[in-house]
Order: sequence, then structure tokens, then C-alpha cells
Amino acid sequence: MALPESEMREIEAFLIVEARLADESRYDEWEALWTDDALYWVPRRPDIDPAKEVSHIYDNRQRIGTRIRQLKSGFRHSQTPASPMRRVLSNIEIAPAGAGEYEVAANFMLMELAIQSTRNMNFWGGRIQYRLRRVDGQLRMAVKKIMLIDADEPIANLAFLV
Amino acid sequence: MGIQQPISYDALVRRDRVHGRLYTDPAVFSDEMDRIYHSGWVFVAHASEVPNMGDYLRRQIGRQPVIVTRDAHNEVRVLFNRCTHRGTMICAKERGNTATFTCPYHGWTFGVGGELRGVHLPAGMGSGFEKSEMGLAGPPRMQIYRGFIFASLAADGQSFDDYLGRGKELIDRACDMSPDGEIELSAGWLKHRFHANWKMIPENNTDGYHVYAAHASLLKATNPFASFAFDEDKGDISITRDWGGGHTEIDFSPGYRRKGKPFLWFGGVSEAKLPNYVARMEQAYGKEQARKSMMDGPPHAIIFPNLFLGEMNISFMVPIAANEVLQYYTPMLLKGAPEVNVRALRQGEGAMGPGSFLLPDDATMSERNQLGLAAQSPEWLDLRRGLEREYVDENTGLLSSGISDEVTNRAFWSHYLQVMSRAA
Repeated sequence: MALPESEMREIEAFLIVEARLADESRYDEWEALWTDDALYWVPRRPDIDPAKEVSHIYDNRQRIGTRIRQLKSGFRHSQTPASPMRRVLSNIEIAPAGAGEYEVAANFMLMELAIQSTRNMNFWGGRIQYRLRRVDGQLRMAVKKIMLIDADEPIANLAFLV
Repeated sequence: MGIQQPISYDALVRRDRVHGRLYTDPAVFSDEMDRIYHSGWVFVAHASEVPNMGDYLRRQIGRQPVIVTRDAHNEVRVLFNRCTHRGTMICAKERGNTATFTCPYHGWTFGVGGELRGVHLPAGMGSGFEKSEMGLAGPPRMQIYRGFIFASLAADGQSFDDYLGRGKELIDRACDMSPDGEIELSAGWLKHRFHANWKMIPENNTDGYHVYAAHASLLKATNPFASFAFDEDKGDISITRDWGGGHTEIDFSPGYRRKGKPFLWFGGVSEAKLPNYVARMEQAYGKEQARKSMMDGPPHAIIFPNLFLGEMNISFMVPIAANEVLQYYTPMLLKGAPEVNVRALRQGEGAMGPGSFLLPDDATMSERNQLGLAAQSPEWLDLRRGLEREYVDENTGLLSSGISDEVTNRAFWSHYLQVMSRAA
């Protein structure tokens, strides 16, 4: 079942806003995009079982809250100052997933400047799977699973919003 | 090009200070590779990572690539990842299960125990060629203690027992958190790369003094551990220890005991949520010892030079250059304790790895140490904290002090000096 063009555009616009809020470390606005049953997940490999293996990030809604409080504390040294970032989303695929829900996937590339220490430019990239849900008419994010190409390699600090 | 003067390490390491050059000079790094990583004992892997015959994984000992395997006799082997023909790195996959390794360059095939099985067009190798002499090489010495695999690339030198010394007690404490007495490192490794000298990791991991400043953001977001370590009025509660041989520890248990509740090291989970674990621990060790383990928790300790027993995590490091290091982390899963293990995964994600709440800030501090050390004045880093109040503890016989004192860093450096002063 194909979605109407207007719905596709609305979903893409949501993804673009979410990406910009993350890029600009706008913590409160980004946190407000999540549903109560949120999962913010950066696995080491796309297919791991989180009941058996460790992930870089496996935050439920409560832990997202802790992450945001930490970032806003003024003492999260690994993000003080926050990394300047810009990311590009592309190859977006959208599928309906039951009443008011959508399965969305996209490829991304992210450039992040580690301004807190080395001032290295870090390149991040991979595929993101989102589960979006309409809550009181507004799109919200229930799942964001970020599958980094190099998630199982030694990587730099991942303390920013990815 | 002039001949390099040998570095005199006793001029660079003093009881109360160390010279900045030790972190920044590539010649020092090169000496460390020779004297610590390419001749001393180092942690390589854990036997539970290769549980089945034919299992293998890749690691590095200093600069040298190795494969850890479980051979056809069910024995753990450590082999150099280098074809005996032309030196090609023979195994590219990080881990897996196989009957043989075949070199992609000329097709030589080796068994998982390293033995040379077959050579393409063997007749051309000549009459003196013996397959039995051309198996994959390996470190001349390998020892396993409670699953922890250590290797030395030198045929002679300090014995394994001398090297590990009383560090065995620390490994015992970690393993004895399991009712079966065994840990399992099957959750996969988080890998972290940062631009700092490797020695900052063993120093930082048993440095109790940095917690309030470096981890201030987590203390503000949540208050998970500080009250077990420090008391605002009385100062240090927990203890730092020098276990000898460069092995060091922060013991948080005095803080846990003061609060009088078990599992404070495990997010303060109530016993009611771990009924099978509590029962199996009491069955295995008796009520008294089980209560002690559940109150005190697993060790927070460095085994020199590259292993960190990080409470419910195991970590090791790989030095890359004077200003670059990799750190690996995995939750320490306990055999026979599934209800503990699923919590250990989530706790590990909170504490360890590049996306966690703790380690990114440590990595940034290490990088900023490295950047600061580019300034050559003052020449020295200060290590005197607690020198005037450290003491030999009667119960353990170990040099000890409060958690904020630098007993552990001094312990690391005095052993380092001993190792680095040996003739190359």
C-alpha cells in the first residue's frame, strides 16, 4: 500500500527536523520528539540480540532523559563545547506499519568536529531505522536504530546525539 | 643520523613525579613495545571467547597480530597471524569458526592449531622442505589463569607466577562472583579509539581522585557512586591499593559496607530481583562468603600492563603509538547467573564504551592530557598525593591509602621503572 505523497513529505520533514536538532545539540527539542516507550539504539552489528550482546547505546526513555540531563549539566566534558555537526539523510524508504505507525529507513553521513580535544573531523555513516508514530496528530519517534558502518571497529567518542 | 642514546628511565620516574616525556616520546613508546609488550606477560583474550573447537578471534600483542584459537585437541592456542611463506596476514575476519586457515596469496593451508596442512605445488619447495617445520609460529609462552589468557613473546624471563603474583586474588574475586566460579565474555566488545598515551588508561582506571571533576556531569544527572567513595566531612571512604607487580586497585567495598546493603555496586538492585542468583551463590560458597561477595562486589583493578577488571566489565587496551590507544570493553557475564547477566549488559552500556555516560569523558581527559603535555614546562607530572598518609594495611599487607590518593599511580610507575630499566 503506497502512502499519499503528502504523508511521505510530512515524514521526510520530520526526519530532517530531527537531524537538524541533533546536529545543533538542541537537547530539549530533540528529547521532546520521543514517545514514552522510546528506544535509542546504536548496536555493534545490525543483527545482534540485545538480551545477549552489548550495544554502544541502548537507551530506554528514562535513560534518554539521563543522557540529556548529563549533556545539559555543563560538565559533560566530552561534549563541552558541543561538537559542531552536519548530517545528510538520503535513500529514504517509508512503509506504513499499522495504525498511525511507520517503518522508515535512511542512509546517513555525518561530519563531526571533535572541538573539545583533538579538533579532528570525524566521519560517521551508516543506515538508520526509525519507527515513527502519530501521537495526538503529531509524529513522534518510538525507535531510532543507528547502524554505524564501523560500529564493531574502534570508534571515537559517541557522546553527541547521533 | 646520529646513534640514539639509550633512555635513562630512572631519571624520568621518581617516587613523587614522572617526566612528561614518558607520554610523548616515540622512542619511549618503542622501548615500551620491546620491554613490556614484546617480552613481558600481557593479557590477550579469555578462553570463554573461543568456547568450541575451531573457534578463532584476532587480537594484537603490542604491535604484533595474533589469532587465538581452540584447536582440534580442544586446547587454546595463540598463533601469529602471519603466513610462514611470505608473511601475509592469513586471517582477516575478526572471529569465527573454521577447520583451516588458507593463505589467500599462494594457497598454503594451516590447521586451527597452526600446523601446515598443505602447500600448492609442493614439489617445487625442494628436498629440505618439511611441513612440520613450517607451521604458524606463536608466542613462546602462554598461560591461562581462570580463563584469562596471557602470553609472553620472550622464551625466557619472569615466570608467569611471579608476573601475576597477588593479582591472582583480584582475578579470583572477579570469577567468584559467579556461582559456578566462571565468567563468560560472550557479549561482544565495544571498541574505543582515542588520541592519548596508553599509560593514561591504567593510571586513570584506578585513579579515584578524578571522579568528582571528570565525571561531574554524571553526578549531576544521577548520583550512582559518589557517596560510596567519599564523605563530604570525613573525606575518603574507599581505599586504593598497591598489589605489587604494577597491579592496582580501588576497593569501593568500605563504602558499600557502611550503607549495609548488598548490590550497591550493581545499581542497588534489590535481592528480591535476583532470587536465583542469591540462592545459587549461597549454595556454592556458603551463606557467609556469598553475603560478602554480594556486599563487596567484583574488583575494580588493573592487572599490569593492559587488563582492567572494571567491576562488572572487563577491559583491555592496545597501544598504537605514543599518542594513540584503543580500549576494548565487554560486560563480565557470570556463568550460572542469567538474571544478573541481562542487567550487566545494560549497566555496561551505561558505564563503558564510546557512547556511555563515563568513558567518553575519560577519553577526552586523556586526549587533553596529551595535548597539554606538548607544553614542556613544567617538565614533571605530580604524583605526591597521599605520600604522607599511605600505610601498609595489616590485613592485606598491602600499601594502601584513601580513594583520592595516588598510591595506585605510584604503584604503576615503580613497577614500570623496574621493567623499563631491564637491559633491552
